Amino acid sequence: MRKLIALLILSVFALSACTSIVQTQIVSSESFDINNWDSIVAAANGQTVNWYIWGGSESINSFVDNFYGEALKDRYNITLNRVPVADTVDAVNQVLSEKQAGKDPGAVDLIWINGENFATLKQADLLYRDWANKLPNSQYVNWDNPAINRDFGTPVDFQESPWSSAQFQFIYDSARMQPEELPRSYAQLKNWAIKNPGRFTYIAPGPGAFQGTRFVKGALFEISGGADQWATFDQTTWDKWSPELWAYFNEIKPYLWRQGETYPKDENELHSLFANKEVDFSITQAIVGAGALVEQGLVPQTSKAFVFEDYMIGDFNYVGIPSNAPNKAAALVLANLILEPEFQAAQILPENGFGLGFGIDINQVTDTASTTLLADASKKLGDAATSPSDLAKSLVGDSAAQYQSLIEEGWRQYVLLNSK
Amino acid sequence: MNKQSNFSPPWLSLAPAIAIIGLLFGVSVLYGLAQSFGILTGTEQEALNLDAYRNVFAGQGPAGREFWSSFGFSLWIAGISTFVSAIGGFFVAVWLNGRRGRGSRGDTLALNWNLAFPHLVWAIGLLLFFSQSGLLARILASMGIIQTPSQFPVLVRDRLGIGIIVDYISKEIPFLALIVLAVLRSQAENFEVVAENLGASRWQRLRYVTIPQVLPSLLSGSLLVFAFVFSAYEVPALLGVRYPRMLPVLALEFFTNPDLNSRAEGMVISLAITVVVMIIAAISIKFEKKIG
Amino acid sequence: MKKILNAAIRFFLYLVLIAPLLLFGVYAFSERWFFPDVLPSTWSTAPFLRLFSDPKTVGGLLTSIGIALVVSLFSLIVAFPAARTLGLRRFPGRQFAWLLFFLPTVVPPLAVGMGMNILFLRLDLAGSFVGVILSHLVPTLPYTIFTLSGLFANYDENYEYQAIVLGASKRRTFFNVTLRLVFPGLIVAGLFAFLISWSQYLLTLLIGGGKVLTLPMLLFSAVSGGNPSTIAALSLLFIAPPVLVIALTARQLNQHGNAIKEQY
Repeated sequence: MRKLIALLILSVFALSACTSIVQTQIVSSESFDINNWDSIVAAANGQTVNWYIWGGSESINSFVDNFYGEALKDRYNITLNRVPVADTVDAVNQVLSEKQAGKDPGAVDLIWINGENFATLKQADLLYRDWANKLPNSQYVNWDNPAINRDFGTPVDFQESPWSSAQFQFIYDSARMQPEELPRSYAQLKNWAIKNPGRFTYIAPGPGAFQGTRFVKGALFEISGGADQWATFDQTTWDKWSPELWAYFNEIKPYLWRQGETYPKDENELHSLFANKEVDFSITQAIVGAGALVEQGLVPQTSKAFVFEDYMIGDFNYVGIPSNAPNKAAALVLANLILEPEFQAAQILPENGFGLGFGIDINQVTDTASTTLLADASKKLGDAATSPSDLAKSLVGDSAAQYQSLIEEGWRQYVLLNSK
Repeated sequence: MNKQSNFSPPWLSLAPAIAIIGLLFGVSVLYGLAQSFGILTGTEQEALNLDAYRNVFAGQGPAGREFWSSFGFSLWIAGISTFVSAIGGFFVAVWLNGRRGRGSRGDTLALNWNLAFPHLVWAIGLLLFFSQSGLLARILASMGIIQTPSQFPVLVRDRLGIGIIVDYISKEIPFLALIVLAVLRSQAENFEVVAENLGASRWQRLRYVTIPQVLPSLLSGSLLVFAFVFSAYEVPALLGVRYPRMLPVLALEFFTNPDLNSRAEGMVISLAITVVVMIIAAISIKFEKKIG
Repeated sequence: MKKILNAAIRFFLYLVLIAPLLLFGVYAFSERWFFPDVLPSTWSTAPFLRLFSDPKTVGGLLTSIGIALVVSLFSLIVAFPAARTLGLRRFPGRQFAWLLFFLPTVVPPLAVGMGMNILFLRLDLAGSFVGVILSHLVPTLPYTIFTLSGLFANYDENYEYQAIVLGASKRRTFFNVTLRLVFPGLIVAGLFAFLISWSQYLLTLLIGGGKVLTLPMLLFSAVSGGNPSTIAALSLLFIAPPVLVIALTARQLNQHGNAIKEQY
């Protein structure tokens, strides 16, 4: 028995020794010059890139594995380790916890990120700096566009690099409704909800449910008569309009699904309510509209996207590298790869399952083969998508980041917890 | 032969287990406590304070606004689930005990079978079956009883926590039934027979023979159920609504919030859960000793 | 009347037994199955094929099996001497040892996990297999000790003395007498340690930090993905081992299982 105990204690030590050996190996392979792309590619050779990415969509998961995973392996000998997180905030927490524990190198190489999560990490100074403009494919990115160089009002400062674009849209079922019956503004939506009690709901705004926050912001823009004043933070503007905003949501509350006593917590829950005919509208951020969702079997095949006349918030999403990333070189190669015109063209096609828009500006692509590829892809968005002209007409930018938590907390306090 | 010399002294054989539990469990709990007081957090502004406690128990912030309603909701869910499970478990056990012999092995297997389904999967099953557009609603719709999902009663993800309660009841009735059944089967049948011969009615036998027999085990088992329900995360996370939420869901949300200050608040909430559970456990042990 | 009631209760009991499996089975082979269709309009094996062609799922399955195996083996090895002492001996401090092992069974995993999260980050164990395995020992070890000590409470040491008197070596006595006598109980305790680890979500989440992906983690993320076919197929995969274990140990369970059931 004594031998057994000795053996056990030994094995515990052996196990902990193993982990520290693995850790040290990772550190030694990082040396490159950020201004010399070849040195980056050389350093990345043989590395594994740990990409923390929201894992709630199978089609996005398989797009990432099939398109980027294989190309990374074939072209650069990099292994892609896609780490699915239930919410991007989990990846942010991982980095924050590592910082708290003084862990460097950490576990995260690349995060799919934008908005408040980017603001959190940037504010805590936990992001790798000045790299996004050093990528060769950064030439295709329109860094002069304020929608790109500011993320929810926070200056990007080349601490993240764009991946794709998205715009808020609604989804309806063409088997249930005709286009003429659709509401085209928040005011019309209220009338529609009153006429069809219990048939509408929206995602509860809150951390990790930015689509819900975005829906509420759109209403704020319409009620206050413009989106521009919200691009910079001003407390008096907020104090002036927020009571009217909560009044709007409290007015529609009794006519919502389950009288507004509860709300779907994310996009997928809303899709499921919509698909099962519990409510008549869902929402999406995808350029292909309902296309990718139809492909996945999440919504009926007759689903289509539509937009209001105005205030449909659009933005870009990015990838960021934590300052304690163990494999920065591989992360840089991946961030560059996703900007390649061929992958940008692939990501918007509904059948590939990603379905978000371009991250690059196609006018900055000069090589003819690539331009044709991108133009072709744009034509194949399918009839479940909103027409590009409608999208462009209704497009507005997001508000300053400070409004995010004001809206989320305010909604919780004055709408969700308001039992009137 | 001297027994002591043949085998290692007691503490040596206990050492590995005590070391592992003591280190992993003990140090973890201490770390958690330290965090809740604002120390050992690894941030720059490390200072011993009671801010998190104040924020949770009396605060005007997000944690303070939701804590007490969550506390009440947790008590409600755990209380009603335990109560119904105890009654249900008792009667199922009595019923099964009256049917020794033919088919009884199958019935016991049925109770054990329940163990094969972790709470996580059980909750998913309830969700697929009982939601307003779930399988049951579809069956009713095909029979023409309802036309739209909204006509189906809200049984999961509802404000009263019915879905959560149904999950716990359906899992804990078999659990408590097995405990009671073990007691009943370990007793000789004589008591019942004697009582019957003395002319006791069915009700009298239940009241004066069966209940006193099983009460200690049933009570301590029920308190275990209460403690478990009060502190479990998965089921309320899957079957709960946005508001009100059970304490464990609230605790984890604050703990995983990127704002490092709210981590301490999450820790305080989970300590509050722990205190309630420990009190329940202490009562449970006392009960067992007093009656048993 | 009584007969009908009995039959009804039994019918209900067995319905509860079968229904979840049927439910998951139907959903797992369906595609685009929406209200108000009672049965899927299209049947498909696609959800299962997707599941098994996804390296994450296969990886999750292997990770889950690996972690649960190591955890249950380790629990048995550490619990065995402790349980033997607790079951057979009366010594000063025995109550203290009981209490120490009892505490992790009542303190919620949530509180343990949150503290451990910080502790393991400092020790560089967060996000590692070793870390997750160690965290799973907190719930499994006490239950293994309690089950085994129950076993030893009814154990007769005289068999061992006889073997030694008859000239058997200590090692031989251990393997041929001790182990053989407690073997069935050992298996049941091991299987339940396996199941507790297998179904652990919270500790894996808090310690694994999303890097160690077990099946419960994938299942939770599938639920947020909202596709009922995938959720059902993954659920079936997840409950396959427990169903097998319960079926195999049905008999022993009636004797030893009670203490473990609550945790699981």
